[in-house]
Amino acid sequence: FDSSFCLFSLAVKILLFYVIFYGCLAGIFIGTIQVMLLTVSEFEPKYQDRVAPPGLTQVPQVQKTEISFTAADPKSYDPYVKNLEKFLKDYSADQQTESIIFQDCGEIPADYKERGPYSESQGQKKVCRFKREWLENCSGINDPTFGYRDGKPCILVKLNRIIGFKPKPLANGSLPEEVMAKYNPYLIPVHCTAKREEDADKIGTVDYYGMGGYPGFALQYYPYYGKLLQPRYLQPLVAVQFTNLTYDMEVRVECKAYGQNIQYSDKDRFQGRFD
Amino acid sequence: MVKKKSDVYSVEIYGTKDLEKTETGDKDEKYKDLKGNKKKKKTEDLKKELDLDDHQLSPSDLEEKYGTNISKGLSSARAAEILARDGPNALTPPKSTPEIVKFLKQMVGGFSILLWIGAVCSWVSFGIQFAQGAESPFDNLYLGVVLALVVILTGIFAYYQEAKSTNIMASFSKMIPQQALVIRDAEKKELPADKLVVGDIVEIKGGDRIPADIRLISAQGCKVDNSSLTGESEPQSRSCDFTHENPLETKNIAFYSTTCVEGTATGIVINTGDRTIIGRIASLASRVGNEKTPIAIEIEHFVYLVAGVAVSIGVLFFIISISLRYKILDSIIFLIGIIVANVPEGLLATVTVSLSLTAKRMAKKNCLVKNLEAVETLGSTSIICSDKTGTLTQNRMTVAHLWFDNQIYSADTSEDQITQPFDQSSPSWTALSKIVTLCNRAEFAPGQENHPIMKRVVVGDASETALLKFAEVILGDVMNIRARNKKVAEIPFNSTNKFQLSIHETEDPNDKRFLLVMKGAPERILERCSTIMINGKEEPLDSEKAEAFQTAYMELGGMGERVLGFCHLYLPENEFPDTYPFDTDSMNFPTSNLCFVGLLSMIDPPRSTVPDAVSKCRSAGIKVIMVTGDHPITAKAIAKSVGIISATSETVEDIAKRLNIPVEQVNRREASAAVVNGMELKDMSLQQLDEILCNHSEIVFARTSPQQKLIIVEGCQRQGAVVAVTGDGVNDSPALKKADIGIAMGIAGSDAAKNAADMVLLDDNFASIVTGVEEGRLIFDNLKKTIAYTLTKNIAELCPFLIYIIASVPLPIGTITILFIDLGTDIIPSVALAYEKAESDIMNRRPRNKRKDRLVNEQLAVYSYLHIGIMQSIGAFVTYFTVYAEQGFLPSTLLGVRVKWEDNNINDFEDSYGQEWTKYQRLYLQWTGYTAFFVSITIQQVADLIIRKTRRNSIFQQGLFRNKVIWVGIFSQIGIALILTYGLGHVTALNFTPLRFQYWFVAVPFAILIWVYDEVRKLFIRRYPGSWWDKNMYY
Repeated sequence: FDSSFCLFSLAVKILLFYVIFYGCLAGIFIGTIQVMLLTVSEFEPKYQDRVAPPGLTQVPQVQKTEISFTAADPKSYDPYVKNLEKFLKDYSADQQTESIIFQDCGEIPADYKERGPYSESQGQKKVCRFKREWLENCSGINDPTFGYRDGKPCILVKLNRIIGFKPKPLANGSLPEEVMAKYNPYLIPVHCTAKREEDADKIGTVDYYGMGGYPGFALQYYPYYGKLLQPRYLQPLVAVQFTNLTYDMEVRVECKAYGQNIQYSDKDRFQGRFD
Repeated sequence: MVKKKSDVYSVEIYGTKDLEKTETGDKDEKYKDLKGNKKKKKTEDLKKELDLDDHQLSPSDLEEKYGTNISKGLSSARAAEILARDGPNALTPPKSTPEIVKFLKQMVGGFSILLWIGAVCSWVSFGIQFAQGAESPFDNLYLGVVLALVVILTGIFAYYQEAKSTNIMASFSKMIPQQALVIRDAEKKELPADKLVVGDIVEIKGGDRIPADIRLISAQGCKVDNSSLTGESEPQSRSCDFTHENPLETKNIAFYSTTCVEGTATGIVINTGDRTIIGRIASLASRVGNEKTPIAIEIEHFVYLVAGVAVSIGVLFFIISISLRYKILDSIIFLIGIIVANVPEGLLATVTVSLSLTAKRMAKKNCLVKNLEAVETLGSTSIICSDKTGTLTQNRMTVAHLWFDNQIYSADTSEDQITQPFDQSSPSWTALSKIVTLCNRAEFAPGQENHPIMKRVVVGDASETALLKFAEVILGDVMNIRARNKKVAEIPFNSTNKFQLSIHETEDPNDKRFLLVMKGAPERILERCSTIMINGKEEPLDSEKAEAFQTAYMELGGMGERVLGFCHLYLPENEFPDTYPFDTDSMNFPTSNLCFVGLLSMIDPPRSTVPDAVSKCRSAGIKVIMVTGDHPITAKAIAKSVGIISATSETVEDIAKRLNIPVEQVNRREASAAVVNGMELKDMSLQQLDEILCNHSEIVFARTSPQQKLIIVEGCQRQGAVVAVTGDGVNDSPALKKADIGIAMGIAGSDAAKNAADMVLLDDNFASIVTGVEEGRLIFDNLKKTIAYTLTKNIAELCPFLIYIIASVPLPIGTITILFIDLGTDIIPSVALAYEKAESDIMNRRPRNKRKDRLVNEQLAVYSYLHIGIMQSIGAFVTYFTVYAEQGFLPSTLLGVRVKWEDNNINDFEDSYGQEWTKYQRLYLQWTGYTAFFVSITIQQVADLIIRKTRRNSIFQQGLFRNKVIWVGIFSQIGIALILTYGLGHVTALNFTPLRFQYWFVAVPFAILIWVYDEVRKLFIRRYPGSWWDKNMYY
C-alpha cells in the first residue's frame, strides 16, 4: 500500500508539475504574441518589402490560370462566367449607392487621391466608384457570358492591392509603342501580347476596356487604405477581350502593367504581369 | 566437448592432465562462450600437435624425419620447396574485415537507414509529381539527393575516422624483421626469420627471440624466458635431453616467440608459423568473441530510442494526415520532414570526433587506443585485473634492503636513483661492497657511459644486474675496481652449490693476500661461515648472532624479497702465495669457516606512480586485482606496497596468525584481502571463485597461469563488472579478448597481445590506466551533454511539422533548413562539449553501472525533448509569428491557410490587411519564416550549449570561460548562421533569405528563460538531493 501510494503521489506531483510548467509556457507564449501584436498597427503592416512590387492577376480563375472552353457548350465556360459574375458583383451600380462610402472620382484617369493618415482618427475612408459599364462588352451587363458563347472570351486584369502603394506611370516617351495610342499621364497602362513569338498571329485582335475607355488603371484609385479603413474598396479593373482568337490552339498570352514602380521578376511570373 | 575445450587451455602450461579434473563436472559454464563447433576441429588439431614426438627422437631420427643434416642443414633449393609448401614462418594476422564492407557498414549503420528511407521517399514523391507534371517537383529531387549526400558524407567521415585510428595501430605493430642464424648449404647464414622452414638448423644465443618451435640438439647454459607463453618470468634452462613426456614440459624444445636469456643452443626447426604452439594459441584467441563495447551498446540504445521516436511520430502523423484527408503524396512529404527533423544527422559524427579527440589526448598520456569506443570502456571499468611485473613494478630487480652490523638498512628503489641514503660509514659496508662488486659476473654493455646508470643495458642475470647497478651507484666505476682487484679464479653459480665464488688479488700492493668472496642463498652461505663481521671486526658466529641472522632473513624474505648472503675470507699469504694454482674443480682452497658479512635483498620494486594510481582507483570505486605468475609472498608484498592490499586489511592467513587459530576456523568474511594461489584456483569451483571475488575487496592471484586469467576475467564479468585486463604474453590474448577492455603492454607486450587488446599502454605503466579511466569517464559525461544538446533542437525542428499538419499554417521551417542546423551550426558546439572539464571529481565516484546508468536515459530524453525542446519551439514560433505578423499576416489569419497558401494558381492571396500576395511573394515570405525559425533555434541553441556545460553545478561554479572551445562553438554557430542568412540568402535552392536584424533578438528572452530555468533545475537538484525533482530532472 505504501509504495503504491508513493507512486501515486509521485505521479500526481509530476502531473501537477507538467500542468503548471506547460501552463506557464502557454501563458508566456500567448503573452509574447499579444505583446508582439500590440506593436503591430491594425491599419497598415509594418513591412511591405515582401509583397511589393504588386502582382498582376486575372479573373476568371478556376483551378488553373489556363482558360479553355468550347463556345458551343455553355457548361465548358460556365465556371469562368460564374467566377467573373461573382467578382463583378461588387462593381454593380446598386452596390455602390451609399455615398458615405463611395465617391465619384471622375470619368477619366486623374491623380492619386490621398485620404490622410493610416489610422482610425478620421473614421473610415471613402472609396472611388468604379462603374461596371466601363468594362463595356466585358461588363456582363449586355452579355451575361462575357463573350464566351461567341468565342470572344473576356478576362479581367487587376493589380494586386497593396496598402499605400502608388503606382507611378512611365513617362510619355518611355512606353512601348502599342500602348502609346491611348496615353494618359494618370494611367497605368495594361497590354497583352503573345508570350511566344509564334503565337503572335494567333492571338488576333485584343480589345481593352477600362475607365473612360483607357486600357489601364487610373491613379485616383490609389493609394489603398486597407481592409479596415476601406472595407469596400474597388480596385480598378481592365477588361481584355480576345475577339479574334485562333481556336483549338494553346495560345499563351502575357499581360503586363507598365509603371515606374512595377517590376517584373523571372522568379515571380505574376509580379507586374501574368501569362 | 567440455573436456576438449579444457585441453586447449590447460595444454599451454600444464599439459592435458592437470586441469582435466577441474574442468569436468560443474565447469560446464566456464567456457560457455568459447565453445562452438568451429573450434572443435581446431582443438583436435592442437591435440594432434601434442602427439608430437620430436622431443623423444634422437638427432639422427630427426635428421631422417625432416630430411635434413645437422651439420650441413637444408639445401637452399629444398628450403625454398618447403617454404612454398608451408608458407612463411609468421603468424597470420587476424582476418580483418574488407575495407568495402567496413565502408558499407558505415553507410547503413545507425540513422543512415532512416535517412535512406527519407531519400527514397523524396525520390518517390518526385517521381509521382513529375509524372503528374506538377510545377516545381525538383524540390523533392534535391532533398533526396541532399539526404543521400548527408548519409554518404557522414559515412565517409566515420569510415575515415575509424581507418585513421586503425592505421596508428598498423604502423605500431610493424616490427623490425627478425633475423635468424641458419645453417643452410653447410654455411651459416643470417636469414629473416619468416623464411625459416621445417628442418632448418638454427643457432640461438642469449638475447635472441626463438624464431620457431625448435628441438634442441645441443645447448650450452641455455636458458629461455617462457613468460610470453606461460607467464612464468623465471628463466628456464634448456638442454638437449628429453626430460618429460609432454612436449611442453620437456627441456629439449624451445618455443617460438619466447626469448633465449643466456647461453647458446642449436636446434632443428620442427614447426613454423601458425603451426607453432604459440601460433595455435594466437589463432584460437582470435576466435574468442569480441564483446561489444559499453559505449557501442549505449549508442545503439540511443539510436533505437531516437529512431523509435522518429518512426512512431512519423507513422502517427502519416496516419493523422491521411485521416485529415491530406493527399498521400503530401503525407509522404510530411513523413520525410518528420524523419529529418527527428534524426540528429550530425550526432554520430560528433560522437566519433569527441571520442577521437579523447583518444588523441589519451595517446599523449601513453594510452594508445586501438578501437575508438574503448576510450569510454575504460571509464566504465569497475575491475582492473593487472599484471604485476612491468605494469605495477619497474620490471627490474633492484636492491631494496641490506643487513649488516645486525641492522636492516633500506635502499632507494625509485626509478632514477643517483645516490643511496643509508649509512655507509661502517667498515662492514666496505667489506660488503667489495664482495658485491667483485663476486659478480654482470657487466655493462659497452658504450653507455652517458646513460644514467639505471637505464644502462647489462649483460647478466637479473640479480647480478641489480647488484652491479647498486654498486655502480654507490661506488662509482665498478669495472675499474674489478680491474684493480684482478680475478684469479671463479666458480659460477649453479643450482647444486647455490653459491657463487671468486678469488681476487687485492688492490693494496702491500697486501699480498688473496681475497675469496662468495655470495649465494643465505642459509647455504651461513653454513660455511664461522665468524661474522660486526662493525668491521670479525666475531665468532654464536647462536645469538645466528638467531639475529635468521630474524633478518625471515623479515626480508617475508617482504617478498630475494635475499642473498655475502661472505669473504682473506686467504693467508703463507698458505696461498702469489703463484698458488687455484683449481676450481678440485677446490683447493677453503670454502668453509668464512666470515659472514651481510645480506642483500632484492625485489622488482613498484613503480613510484603506482601507489597513488591504485588509491585513485580505489576512490573511483574500481577494484584492482593483481594477477601474477609470481610467488604469493612476493605478490603480496608488492600488493601491500602499492596499496592493492591496504595497510589495515588482512588475509585469512593473517587473521589466523594474529589470533593463533587454524586457518579453517577464521571467518572468511572478516578478511577483506585474499591472496589466492594458482594451485588453489585450479581446484576451485566457479561458485567458490565467485565467492572470493564477491567477498574480498582486495584480491591477489599469485602463481596463476595466463589462462587462469581468463577464468578470473569471466568470474568478474559474471559479477556484472566491466573488466579491464592487462597482459603482455601471447597466452594472455584470450583473456585480453575476453575482457571488456584488453590492455596490452607497449614495451613488453607481444604482438599477439597487442593484436588482441583494445588499448596499448606505451609506457607499460599502471598509472597510465588511471588517467585513461579519468578520460573515459569524462567523455561519457561529456557525450551525455553533447547528446542532450543535440536532441533538444529536434523538438524545435519537429514541432513546425506537427503544427503545420494540424493547424495548416504555412510551413515554419523547411527540411533543407533543418539539415543546415543539424550539420551546420550545431556541429562545432557539440564537439566543443567534449572539451568540457569535469564537474566534480569524477575519480571520486563509483564506476557507472552498465545496466542502470545509460548514456541516454529517460530523464535526459524527457528533459531535452519535453522541457528545453518545447521552450525552444515556443521561442522559435514567436519569431515565426512575429515575422508573418509584421509582413501582414496576423496569427489568426495564418491558421488553416495551408492549401490556398501553397496553391500555385492563387496569386491574389489576401492577408490580414486586405493586401494581395502572389504565390512567389508568399513563398519568399515562407523562406523568410524558415530563416527566422532557423535563427531562433540557433540563438536558443547558444543558451542550450551554455546550460549543457554542467548537469548539476551552476554554470558560475563551472566557469563560463574555462572551456574556450565552447566559445569557439558559439561564435562559429552565430557565424555560420550569419553567413547562411546574409551571404547565401540569395541562393534560391537553400531557402534562406536575408533577415531583418531585429528578428535575431526575438528569441533572446527565450534563450535567457532557458538558462534561468536550467539554473533553477540545477539549484533544486543540488538543494534537494534524492527528491523527486532530483530523480526526474537529473540526467
